Amino acid sequence: MAGAPDGGTVLSEKMLAARFAEVVLPHLGDALSLACWLTGNTADAEDVVQEACLKAHAGIAGFAGGNPRAWLLTIVRNASYTWMAKNRPRSVVAVGDLADLDDVSPPPDNDADSPEAALIAKANSAAVEAAIARLPQAFRETLVLRDINGLSYREIAAMLGVPQGTVMSRLARARGVLMTELGGRHHEPA
Amino acid sequence: MSPRENGPHENRPREDGLPQDPQDVKLMIHALVDGELDAAAALAVERRMAADPELAAEHARLVALRGAVASVPRPTVSDAFLARIAAIAAVKDPEDVEAAQGEHVKAEAQPSARQQQQGNVVAMRPRAARWFDSFDWRQMAASIVLTAFLASGATQWLATADNGAESFAVAVANSHRRSLLAATPVDIVSSDRHTVKPWLDGRIGVSPAAPDMAKDGYALLGGRVEVIGDRPMPALVYRHHEHLITLVAAPRQNEAKSVPVADDLSAGGFLLVHWTDDAFSYWAISDAERPALDDFVARFRAAIIANPAAGSPG
Repeated sequence: MAGAPDGGTVLSEKMLAARFAEVVLPHLGDALSLACWLTGNTADAEDVVQEACLKAHAGIAGFAGGNPRAWLLTIVRNASYTWMAKNRPRSVVAVGDLADLDDVSPPPDNDADSPEAALIAKANSAAVEAAIARLPQAFRETLVLRDINGLSYREIAAMLGVPQGTVMSRLARARGVLMTELGGRHHEPA
Repeated sequence: MSPRENGPHENRPREDGLPQDPQDVKLMIHALVDGELDAAAALAVERRMAADPELAAEHARLVALRGAVASVPRPTVSDAFLARIAAIAAVKDPEDVEAAQGEHVKAEAQPSARQQQQGNVVAMRPRAARWFDSFDWRQMAASIVLTAFLASGATQWLATADNGAESFAVAVANSHRRSLLAATPVDIVSSDRHTVKPWLDGRIGVSPAAPDMAKDGYALLGGRVEVIGDRPMPALVYRHHEHLITLVAAPRQNEAKSVPVADDLSAGGFLLVHWTDDAFSYWAISDAERPALDDFVARFRAAIIANPAAGSPG
């Protein structure tokens, strides 16, 4: 009505910028975390997140509500794998070929007593970080999305394109490995 | 959605509805710790844990692990990195680029250069430095200005831009966004104004005209009560194709500025149209395109004029 013909495009660009500021910028910390865990170092993570944000900006009009963090992290994850395929072709795990990993049976936990929980709680963050870093890619990714980025099972399943039960079993496996490492490693008194 | 469906396992459910396979019960404990269970399932899992020390120990370990993982330091978003990312949107915005050409921006650019030397991780990296070199200083300055705005919060930036009308528009935008995320955008579901009006009347004592314009492509979904600036006010919700249009009708107060001609605004990524009549100050907001929203407003105003009986306040 009152809007000039060219006023519309300016408004819509401002609108996109405003949406970018609301959808993307608040979640940069989570984006960096995920990229960092997937690529293995902070410096590369910033490049990956920048690349992802360019894609997010180009596609911001397609953001149709829902959890903006999950939306951005999906783009970050894709950008991470694209980046790794280009820069570290040898280290990339084929994402679609994880059946063998999912079939691995959980480790026996016979020593299921509460002192172990105390050991886990006392583990220093460097040890926790190292243990997470040693996890196989698919388990690490699931654990990070859940325990660090705080996504729900459903959001993770949608992002990874796997059933929710697979998310649950990967998560349980990842945590099982961490609990065994962190709970057992400190047996000798420090 | 149910986390109970787990792969190929065919478990006969016991009386508490939980799987029998011990591994699957452990998955349920994970789900409990992750807040993924509804109240009934959570209760069932907690009962199992109370009866089984091993499950209780698993739960204790999981809680401990969650704490340990949460304590892992996270990468921080440096100011320079935030500026880089904010610039992605900023360079596309002609008004910000224009603003960056102002003289005061030059003065701002220098402290930020100092900031980068103060142990800023991003700026120290060779790759990042190259990236900065390729960056026009105006864009850089624009991004700094934008970052300054962002630091104070994007909504506040919009809210403090001008006057009360702007902050009201932001409040309307926030309500609209909240309604899009809610289970249902309306408190009273009806396409019949004879239902919606009395409902609003009964709740807050005022109700605007609520014409159903389904034949024009704007179907009345219902109404809800908005509280904006500690005043409850009626809101109507219309659907136009895939878009929802919220129409907030604030009862006119004496001091309210008269806006007889529709005023185009935007806030929080949504488009708004604002106008007034004798009784109400109207705010229409949607993520629909501007022409559709303008068309809606034109038809709504025409409908009220055509049928003033439907539009009497109160």
